[in-house]
Amino acid sequence: MDGLPLKVTHFNEYHRAHGNLVEYAGFEMPLWFKTIVTEHLAVRNSVGMFDVSHMGRIFIEGSDAERFLNHITANNVATVQPMQAQYTTICNEKGGIKDDVIFIRITADKFLLVPNASNREKDWTWVESHSSAFDVDVRHVSDEVAMIALQGPRAYETLRKASTGEIDKVGRFRATEITINGIRSLASRTGYTGEDGFEIFVYDSPVDRPHKAISVWNSLLESGREFNIEPCGLGARDTLRLEAGLCLYGNDINEETTPLEARLDWVVKLDKGPFIGRDYILKQKTEGVKRMRVGIKLLERGIPRPGHDLQANGLPVGFVTSGTFSPILQTGIAIGYVPPDYAKEGTRLKVKIRDKLADASIVNFPFYNSEKYGWRRKQ
Amino acid sequence: MKVGDYEILEGLYYTAEHEWLKAEPELVRIGITDYAQKNLHEIVFVDLPKPQMKANQTQSLGTVESVKAVSDIFSPVSGTVVSVNEKLLDSPELLNREPYDEGWIALLRPDRLAEELPKLMNSQQYAELLTKLAEKR
Repeated sequence: MDGLPLKVTHFNEYHRAHGNLVEYAGFEMPLWFKTIVTEHLAVRNSVGMFDVSHMGRIFIEGSDAERFLNHITANNVATVQPMQAQYTTICNEKGGIKDDVIFIRITADKFLLVPNASNREKDWTWVESHSSAFDVDVRHVSDEVAMIALQGPRAYETLRKASTGEIDKVGRFRATEITINGIRSLASRTGYTGEDGFEIFVYDSPVDRPHKAISVWNSLLESGREFNIEPCGLGARDTLRLEAGLCLYGNDINEETTPLEARLDWVVKLDKGPFIGRDYILKQKTEGVKRMRVGIKLLERGIPRPGHDLQANGLPVGFVTSGTFSPILQTGIAIGYVPPDYAKEGTRLKVKIRDKLADASIVNFPFYNSEKYGWRRKQ
Repeated sequence: MKVGDYEILEGLYYTAEHEWLKAEPELVRIGITDYAQKNLHEIVFVDLPKPQMKANQTQSLGTVESVKAVSDIFSPVSGTVVSVNEKLLDSPELLNREPYDEGWIALLRPDRLAEELPKLMNSQQYAELLTKLAEKR
């Protein structure tokens, strides 16, 4: 990507004025506004807002839309009602994960697919090339629709005050049409933080004429002020998703990883009929996986980083794919891969952090206590 | 003195990797500069050297880490670690708050200070380095 000018989102002017910028997936994005930990804690304890317009938006519409999506994704699209969302994987022929995505079924025949930022163009090429055998119309609208994530226990109240519509009737993984400041948007009760919250799609707002998107951004900031809302950067987005045990594409999963290895079995519906990658995944399910994605919590001081070796009884058994300092646990946490024999909760391992071997234990996701944090928390 | 946002203390010696050294009777005290802590931003973890550890000039004594980045602490001179600032283990934010005072990292007994000190920068030379770094941005 060296030498290419960075792409920008609708909110670039705000990021430049208030954020500390980095390049991510070819975009100029904020890494943090205040500090990563401040923003992280705002989302866990109250509400935070993220520009996620660097992700992709693809409309899939037509009488074959459900059949087509069922062909290219592993989960069962037929179980998804209009104004409902689903998390799923797009696999290649060898069962490797091309992307992990959500889509929202807007009507019986119309879907909004949301690829990861790093896979925006790859997914579009894949969707477009496979769509020709189906009666569907596909449209890449990433540059015409802005996307904001409002996350945290106060996200609901923040959005309710700022919008007209029926968000009070929208449960987890449901969606509804709303207006904010008179601007037509879609609010989906989904996210990438482990917390309750919404992903808001601002329709008809091109990147080069972003006033509608900016108006929505400002309205949400104003509405969230009484809850001390924080605009959040990619740094907090990463620590939040890691604490929740969610995969980062490119780190924790890639085209060489299958959904079974990544412990995304629950999105794979082998009995729904044929889909791309099914044969290989079925074979792997019968034979068993050789490695599995696990959560690793350090039992002493240190921060695991991608590439660090995992050792058991003095021998390497796997490696770290994502690691950070957890602001909630105040300790080092990681996602990595180990053989199934070492994947059981409570298994003791060592993480090789440079020249030091740090004690660690396999833990279940999420890393935090889900009675105290996350969308399932007891109020 | 200040270069941009970055505080530089007179009387200290500096490395190109943004460590500082203060010569005290018999011993030297070391730490990271205001420039280093501001660029790392919010420091959440310090891997301190062990007392009695021996290091050559420019050898890594440990690391300072933010959520996103890891930075080595390079020894400004050759010597033996006499003591470390254990407050940093529970309060790594001292490195952000007071990099030249409460955020010191280690005390070393230098092996050949007279020989190695001239390889370091004085505050004036370090200010020139920071000015150059600012121009590159």
